[in-house]
Amino acid sequence: MFSVLRPHRFKLALLLLAANFGLLLHLASGELKPIAEWVWLDILGEGGSALLALVWLGLVLKSRPAGRVTNYLVLGLGCIFFSWWIDSLDEFIRLPDSITWDHWLESGPMPLGMILLTLGIYHWHREQLAINGQMEKRERLFREHRLFDKLTPLGGADFLKHELSASLEDSRRRQQPLSLLALDLDNFTAINQRFGHGEGDAVLQAISQLLVLNLRRQDLLCRLAGDRFVVLLPDTGESQARRLALELEIAVRSLAHKTRQHGERLQLAASTAVVMAFDESPDALLKRLNLALAQSRTTLAKSA
Amino acid sequence: MTLKTCWYETDSRFIPGHYQPAALIDLALSRDIDSHRLLRGTGLFHDDILAGQSRISPQQFLGLIDNSRRLLDASDSSFLFGQRLLPGHYGPASHALRHAQNLHQALQTLIDQQALLSPLAAPRLLLDEHYAYVHWLDSCGADEQWRFVLEASMTSMVAMSAWLSGERLPWQCSFRHGEPRYVEQYWVHLGEHTQFDRPLDLMRLPRHCLAQPWPNVSATAGQVARIEARDQLDQLGFASSFLDCLYDYLHAHVQQTPSLEQTAQAFAMSPATLKRKLHKHHTGFQQQVDRVHTHVALYLYQVKGFSNEEVAQYLRFNDTANFRRSFKRWTGSTPNLIRQLLMLG
Repeated sequence: MFSVLRPHRFKLALLLLAANFGLLLHLASGELKPIAEWVWLDILGEGGSALLALVWLGLVLKSRPAGRVTNYLVLGLGCIFFSWWIDSLDEFIRLPDSITWDHWLESGPMPLGMILLTLGIYHWHREQLAINGQMEKRERLFREHRLFDKLTPLGGADFLKHELSASLEDSRRRQQPLSLLALDLDNFTAINQRFGHGEGDAVLQAISQLLVLNLRRQDLLCRLAGDRFVVLLPDTGESQARRLALELEIAVRSLAHKTRQHGERLQLAASTAVVMAFDESPDALLKRLNLALAQSRTTLAKSA
Repeated sequence: MTLKTCWYETDSRFIPGHYQPAALIDLALSRDIDSHRLLRGTGLFHDDILAGQSRISPQQFLGLIDNSRRLLDASDSSFLFGQRLLPGHYGPASHALRHAQNLHQALQTLIDQQALLSPLAAPRLLLDEHYAYVHWLDSCGADEQWRFVLEASMTSMVAMSAWLSGERLPWQCSFRHGEPRYVEQYWVHLGEHTQFDRPLDLMRLPRHCLAQPWPNVSATAGQVARIEARDQLDQLGFASSFLDCLYDYLHAHVQQTPSLEQTAQAFAMSPATLKRKLHKHHTGFQQQVDRVHTHVALYLYQVKGFSNEEVAQYLRFNDTANFRRSFKRWTGSTPNLIRQLLMLG
């Protein structure tokens, strides 16, 4: 938690100082209102807003790496918090009418904060576009972070099923073929047994990067389970899908993955299977794909 | 049949923390789960486990499983855990597994050393003309963790036999629960022919696979490891759980159908104590009797090829109609339907 705050410690200290300074200034030049004069609705509204601004600030800091965009957002939210904070102070402290600086303190930081926040959000948007570019072939128009795989930067089985039903619908409407490709690493258990499960995880991460590089723009790669990956291939017939599958097999075989501990080269190989979608449910299609993969593996074992 | 007077219960602290629990802890830590949150409420401390001194009860282990399931929040947790379970690093018992000459010997070792190798789920081996069946029983009343334990146990068997034999064996698994949302995990880790809504938690493979010799095995090392493992069990003072002992007793006396009082007497305790112990394991006496009846009936159908009348007669039912009613109560299904389900795939 504290490591998240570390790069922002000066900004946060400044905010704390400013808030304190405002409080002291009010106390020095005004007098406390008796409780009977407190207007609870205003206290709740203005104080609550200030507190919420602080919560937003915390969430932004916790969810983003430090950097230019984060600085804009933090400064913007800091100004907004400050202005709401001063606003809520006069619910408790009465200032004499001769004093006008409180008005400046209250309303001055607000437009500045809004401008900074707007700048921050605008750059956040640009940043997101750049990230979307990087996420191409791993997600489409739909995003649901709960469906992301925990190990590889890919969608999991549920994400695949969601996208698959949408794509099936789409291909049916446009009268275009849709194919699915499954890829399963050979002897993956042996890697886990021999080099440890950490190495197995590293292999899966490397393979997922490799497969992304070998796909077309419109394809979608997901990790189904364990060492089995599934690629959704829109507008693709069975023969073209087979060609892609072969390319992926070759790519996996020529990947010179090195173990993390001793830099030893691992010989990897994969089996693939391809099915073209008929008029069927996503679940039935996935089942057929996996049976086809089991089939191709047994014929492989027999011929070996 | 001689009755073992000693067994372990769900609150017996005997599972070394650095055995099976460590496999789960390592999995969680590799996914960046905080160790304090992982062990919260289990009464365990990571430092004690690392020192190799902690002994935990099945109940605590199940608590750890509950925490891991929630924190990992992924449908492959049980399967990844299962892959790490066998042969494992559990002293001589693991050695004995590692140097088993074939699957049959490995299964025999697993069954003999169950308290050390698989304390939460007890495997039973059944054979018929064509198939070998491994039937898994809930040893400690795992309750809502049972599915996790079962997935892990079956995966451990599939993964171990694949590794030690050097090839993926044609296991077929069947489960009592319905098809889960994450069925693809079953396909990848247990095989594409996994079936659900079946009468038993069972895995089977062609019988000839049992005797196929395994490579890279030292017969002498295996022999010695088995003796050492037996010594370790002797020191522990028990080889199976209370529920499993009760199951064996009821199974051996299935034709007499012993009452609660008779059973309590055979276990040298009062009926109230027996009831209390069963309650502690989230079960009851009638539930256990019904379970044994179901298993015996299914065994007679499948392996002996008995008819309804013969099974009813064997279990001492007065008439077949009565038996069919009882069977419906045990399994929620009629004998004929179950017989169709038994013919897996």
